[in-house]
Amino acid sequence: MSRVWFLYRKDLRIEFRKKESVASMTFFGALVLVILNVAQGPGRRLTPETAAGVLWVAVIFSAVLGLGRVFARERENGCISALLVSPASPGTVFTAKALVNLTLMLLSQAVLVPVFFVLFGTGLAGGPLALVPSLLLVDAGFSAAGTLLSAVSAGTRRNEVLLPILLFPLILPLVALAVKATGGALAGRPLTELLPLLEPLAAFGLIYAAAGYLLFPFVVREG
Amino acid sequence: MTSRRVPLLPLLSAVLLPAAVAMVFFYAPTERTMGVVQKIFYFHLSLAAVAFLSFFVACVAGVLYLVRGKRRWDAWGAAGVEVGVVFTTLVLITGSLWGRPIWNTWWTWDPRLTTSLILWFIYTACLILRSAVESETRRATYAAVMAVAGFVDVPIVFLSARLFRSIHPTVIRSDSVGLEPSMIATLVVCMAAMLVFWAGLVRLRYGLHLQEAELGDLTRRLGG
Repeated sequence: MSRVWFLYRKDLRIEFRKKESVASMTFFGALVLVILNVAQGPGRRLTPETAAGVLWVAVIFSAVLGLGRVFARERENGCISALLVSPASPGTVFTAKALVNLTLMLLSQAVLVPVFFVLFGTGLAGGPLALVPSLLLVDAGFSAAGTLLSAVSAGTRRNEVLLPILLFPLILPLVALAVKATGGALAGRPLTELLPLLEPLAAFGLIYAAAGYLLFPFVVREG
Repeated sequence: MTSRRVPLLPLLSAVLLPAAVAMVFFYAPTERTMGVVQKIFYFHLSLAAVAFLSFFVACVAGVLYLVRGKRRWDAWGAAGVEVGVVFTTLVLITGSLWGRPIWNTWWTWDPRLTTSLILWFIYTACLILRSAVESETRRATYAAVMAVAGFVDVPIVFLSARLFRSIHPTVIRSDSVGLEPSMIATLVVCMAAMLVFWAGLVRLRYGLHLQEAELGDLTRRLGG
């Protein structure tokens, strides 16, 4: 546990010194939101469910940018071999990486969600706080599945292209559920009504946390 | 090695497949409301069953490869994914052809359609992944991980797809089969034919992958 915390702090420190991931994730996400706002045309209001779709497109596209860096950084200088000979087990590395990615996603969403409400918020009953449960659950599931697949794609020649191709089909159900859940939250429905949607989201996170923890060692050993 | 044996499965499917086609068109009665369009159902269901079976084979082969690390499990996995993608493509096409006149739409977000489509995406991504990795052991490990990670997605995919309304017919229920006896006979023959054909294809691709890997070994030995 202390090793997870140690690796987690190490990655976050690198991130805050270089500021390469969070800044580009947030910037790109905001860009996607603006593009979708322009595409929607002026003076038109979206239904809560369509607005939820817009938010998730921006969130997912920006998150995949940061995810690619989580592993590419270790591969570039051969750090992954150093991690493997360190006393930390591959499962520990997986947990730490997934938590780092979760943190990066939450940080960028702290900016993206307000931007979303500025651009699309008129006429929506639910506020930003109503989105917190589904955002947390999706971020956890996305980080678990994404960390596993970013380790896979980092070992190939076409890292940046391959990661979304591998990851997006897996998280399609996650996005479908998230759009329904946030759509309900934006329409002002209470949390208890959305529970049937949030439970599968949590299940996705658990399944991929377990699958990632078990499969990740095989992937990183293929240095 | 594989070529010297009698190709039992291909020969058997050369008999069974035409027999199944003949039964579909000349033996099975024409359905009252849907008419001749319904006949695609025999192929659609058989294709869907073996497509799902191949992804299951790929997942099991993936687990075995990760545990044992033997080349042949990678070859089974590769064969399963390849054949599964081809068969799922056919499932989606035959389903659309039926849906257009019956549902008046090529596509709808029904649980079964959604699950098939997402599986198609996952395993096509798996094929793309295979083509992107040079080293044999690395490719095998990555493909195995992807096949397993894709298969554990199935329950969630189905759960999430239930949110959408379903208009897909449920022909085979747990308590009864909504078909004429002659239709059931046709379906059984069709399924058997498709299963033999599928097994033949997977076996063939498996042999090909093994031979390719052995060829790679020989080339390396000559080169270095």
